[in-house]
Amino acid sequence: MARRKPAAAPTRLGGRRDGWLMIAPLTALLVVMLAVPLAVDLVYAVSRVTFETLRAPSVIGFGNFAVVLRDGQFWGAMLFSLRFAVLVTAAELLLALTLAIFLAPLLASIPWLMAPLLLPMMVAPALVGLMYRLVLHEFVGAVPYYFVLLTGDSPSFLGPDTAFWTLVTIETLQWTPFALLILYTAYQSIPTDVREAASLDGTGPLQMLRYVELPLMRPTILAVGFIRFIDSFRVFDNVYTLTGAGAGGDTTTISIYIYEAFFRRDDIGVAVAASMILLAIAFAMLTVVLRWSERRA
Amino acid sequence: MRRGISALRWLVLLVAVVALNAPVIVTLVTSFKSDAEIAANPSLVIEAPTVSNYVRIFAMSDRFDILHFLTNSVVEAALGTVLAIALALPAAYGMIRFRVGLAWLFPPVVNLRAIPLIIFAIPIYLMYQAAGLLDTRFGLALILCLVNLPLVLVLLVNAVRDVPIELDEAARIDGAGPWTILLRVVLPLVRPMIASSTVLAFIYAWNEFLFGLMLTTRDAVPVTVGASFFFSASGGGVQWGVAAAVMMLSTLPPLLLGLFAYRHIGRSMTAGAIKG
Repeated sequence: MARRKPAAAPTRLGGRRDGWLMIAPLTALLVVMLAVPLAVDLVYAVSRVTFETLRAPSVIGFGNFAVVLRDGQFWGAMLFSLRFAVLVTAAELLLALTLAIFLAPLLASIPWLMAPLLLPMMVAPALVGLMYRLVLHEFVGAVPYYFVLLTGDSPSFLGPDTAFWTLVTIETLQWTPFALLILYTAYQSIPTDVREAASLDGTGPLQMLRYVELPLMRPTILAVGFIRFIDSFRVFDNVYTLTGAGAGGDTTTISIYIYEAFFRRDDIGVAVAASMILLAIAFAMLTVVLRWSERRA
Repeated sequence: MRRGISALRWLVLLVAVVALNAPVIVTLVTSFKSDAEIAANPSLVIEAPTVSNYVRIFAMSDRFDILHFLTNSVVEAALGTVLAIALALPAAYGMIRFRVGLAWLFPPVVNLRAIPLIIFAIPIYLMYQAAGLLDTRFGLALILCLVNLPLVLVLLVNAVRDVPIELDEAARIDGAGPWTILLRVVLPLVRPMIASSTVLAFIYAWNEFLFGLMLTTRDAVPVTVGASFFFSASGGGVQWGVAAAVMMLSTLPPLLLGLFAYRHIGRSMTAGAIKG
């Protein structure tokens, strides 16, 4: 993601003071909305705090973290989010890459065919979750209906054993378009002379894919994979509206764990400590990716 | 052989479009069925199309006021989008032309995309409670602005960088100050990118759910959260026809925007993901 600083034009316009004035409003908003909350997070994470003592938290050290790390539910949520993110990212990349390459000739000659493929991204994930309550409903849902019609039986899609796979599938179906769009753009931007040179050397279509096209697309594939991994790791909306914290199976993601700790159990310390663990994970992943892309550049 | 592959491509495209859009297709079809038909016929064929579900939504406005939720979403998403652009455009200009903050402000904002915003949610909730911003349109709009800032800033920084500095200098020789140059010279030139980022930012803002759920309860509830109220309000016996109509109305604005502006959206999403 972002590491490359945009090269600035040589500044011959003078007046750095005007520059400061121009970035001041943005900076002020970020300080109030992000820096202050982060500071509060850090203090509350090491304090005993309730809704009555918000202004006078008493520092207790790392007790909240100990509670979180001993909580089986927390580890359950971590594992859920991790498995979810790995499977969703892999499935999306595979599906999107296949579609992008196989459909490329069609999409290149009729560009607007991309529009219906991008539509799923325009729908709120929360609403997608609600829509699947209807789509998968055992009496009125279209999917169970067609399952029964074709196979004589239908699985219960939101039962304890199946809910996880249902959620993986709906997340994949909604965000494959994102990977498809970016990977298709990368595929189309491979210069024609690269392909021509390779085919003059007698490279067949499969070898072309394996030794020319995929290596050229590798940075894009990794960038898309990173974005989708991060986004699916913190998933909240569609899981929350479809299964809540766990209709049938336990479908508590790490974001839902934090939300429930705060809003349902009024456990500010635990919620904040879990938030800080999530921040540390996101930060670590970001650092690794930035290092890696710096080394490539 | 050639023709066979081409036919297969069309088939794969068709299957992909139907599978990816399945929830919207099923919801759209269901919203035009009567209650009796929904119970008897869950297929994708409508035997007796009716608009009664849409009529019934507006008849129940005393219990479930969809117009109120839709208005909230329009106001909040629009305000959040305008705020993000109003803050990001001068910042982008200051960063590129005066080289202020390019090293310490640009990277954190852009990398915010990778940080789950829920980690700020609890202090923001407590701050909002103290400041009286809970359940206000302005309060939620501020968050929607925050959600959109990383993308909008990347796009505008790229756009401003592409403006030839000679134009700035010419205007400066004519006696224009930096703010005049920004508004009269740079703004018209980056207008296409502003349009693209506005569309995408509005859609993202409309579709936000987590902060809407946490920070609003009645007055400022956006339609993503409002639609889920409809389900919990009807308890076990959900009226599926009306529910489907509610979901269609909630999702129609971003869906139509996306359909008509898909090229802008594609361009800005690609730029945001790769150049960021």
